Amino acid sequence: MFDNEIISLILKGNRDKYQILVEKYQPMVFRTCMGFLHNKDDSDDLTQDIFIQAYQSLSKFKGDASFSTWIYRIAVNASLNKVRKTSKSFFFQRFEKVFGSEKSIAFEIPIPDTENPENILIQNEHREWMQKALNSLPENQRTAIVLSKYDDLSQKEIAAIMNTSEGAVEALIQRAKANLREKLSSFRKK
Amino acid sequence: MNCQLCLKEMEATFGEKLSGVSQTQVEAHIAECETCAKSYQLMKLANKVMEAEKAEQSNPFLSTRIMAGIEKLDQCKEGFQHISAYQKVLKPVLISISLASALFIGVLAGNIYKPVQPEYKIPIEMSYMNDASLESVNLFANE
Repeated sequence: MFDNEIISLILKGNRDKYQILVEKYQPMVFRTCMGFLHNKDDSDDLTQDIFIQAYQSLSKFKGDASFSTWIYRIAVNASLNKVRKTSKSFFFQRFEKVFGSEKSIAFEIPIPDTENPENILIQNEHREWMQKALNSLPENQRTAIVLSKYDDLSQKEIAAIMNTSEGAVEALIQRAKANLREKLSSFRKK
Repeated sequence: MNCQLCLKEMEATFGEKLSGVSQTQVEAHIAECETCAKSYQLMKLANKVMEAEKAEQSNPFLSTRIMAGIEKLDQCKEGFQHISAYQKVLKPVLISISLASALFIGVLAGNIYKPVQPEYKIPIEMSYMNDASLESVNLFANE
């Protein structure tokens, strides 16, 4: 069954059909959220919010673009809004870090128990560098690199989501990679 | 191959495995150039972090949570439609009017109250009197 057929059934009142779309697109929406938030629990919550928001806006889906493009746009906008809100509350996170228990917000790469503790510390440090470097990118570069590396989308698909040209997407990805490399080099020097 | 070309090739794959002629040339260059070798290591590290995050799986019950959230949303909408016009409009308006009236009456009551003025007024000449220059009454009594 095509996405447009499922959507027309949902709009007629067949709510249960929405689960088909959820199960189909949930992994890709989750990966996009992980690219921005780097935290599994936050990404789960945001994925839930995105699908609920998509359901509420389903009547506005005109069918000009594919449903996947449409939901990617919602996912990217929701992730960027979440990142902006998180950065505003950064001050309070620092306060909690000093005076209270800090909720872990960073993603941890699963490391075998047999790994050397020193290596674990180094790997955690590298992970933090990478997440800081990604978070420091401008929003459009960050969006392009997340959609390219996390969702494995082609430049054409990314251009449709970001409503720009393929050439612009290519330039954004190249600049993002160069910026990431420079940021990581600067962290290493410190 | 110079550093600029080497970086360009490495950035194109960004830590993923190189192939073909590029692989040979880049490997030859990074064997000699420490800076490019470090940059290559950093890109590999970045790629490793991204791959690990990408491999992460969402909560297996997430779709159930989403459908439950949507069902709750629809129930709230239906519940709101069944609420009468009194509940939707009149009740909030009446509560607002009551609060405004109570505030107005309170201010009015506060303005009605006036403190009682004392009947006896001290003459203004008394304020010019200097106690230190007054003679003691005992002085007159002992004369």
